Amino acid sequence: MSFEREGRGGGREERGGRGGDREERGGGRGFGRRKVCRYCADKNAKIDHRNAGELKSFVTERGKIIPRRISGNCSKHQRQVAIAIKRARMLALLPYTVMQG
Amino acid sequence: MADAQTKVRLREYDTVFLLKPDVTDDAVDKLKERVRGVVTREGGKVIKFINWGKKKTSFAVSKQPRAIYVEAMYLGQKNLVTELERNLRNIDEVTKFLTTKVADEIDPESRPVEPDEKRAGDVEEAPRPERSERRDEFSAGGEADEAPAGAEE
Repeated sequence: MSFEREGRGGGREERGGRGGDREERGGGRGFGRRKVCRYCADKNAKIDHRNAGELKSFVTERGKIIPRRISGNCSKHQRQVAIAIKRARMLALLPYTVMQG
Repeated sequence: MADAQTKVRLREYDTVFLLKPDVTDDAVDKLKERVRGVVTREGGKVIKFINWGKKKTSFAVSKQPRAIYVEAMYLGQKNLVTELERNLRNIDEVTKFLTTKVADEIDPESRPVEPDEKRAGDVEEAPRPERSERRDEFSAGGEADEAPAGAEE
């Protein structure tokens, strides 16, 4: 009995240890400040597919849409930004893709 | 009766269309009038035309690196959009167009007609040689700085 308990206890400890590692890693990865959604911070800013200059900041050099975890947008505004970028692409204001090399 | 009149509600649409870069200003004005004619014929109302001017496109549109952008803001019903887009497709100068709905349930009286707008478009880059000259000056200065250091040694 006692041996079994020890075994289980060890297992728990291991699991607990792993969980701890994850937390530490999560804490270690989050260096820098927490990003704020630009459009939540400024209520007057509008997402417009005609304003390609502003949308450019949400697109990589290759023309890909920057994900939410990097751009810091909230889900609501990221959806609107994504639609605006796709519309701007239709009007040739933003590239679908950029050839390199 | 008065209620029936106030019930006339239209949607606000916004159409941006691209023209071939060699289209003249007169031809653009003619095209605007044609669009205005279609909109009024279908019971709509043009609020404003904005000519964005000649802009560089992100990729070649009909084998051209540039295009003239014209934006039309207007009120109308949904059958107006299909009719207008059918017309745009028939015009040779129009290479691309995109219609978006801006608002629902707009009272036509609340949106007055605004004067047309014309923007300059992209500016062609010119002062490149000056920069290269300046860079030469800087590099010359750097060499001048390095030379005395070498002399000290």
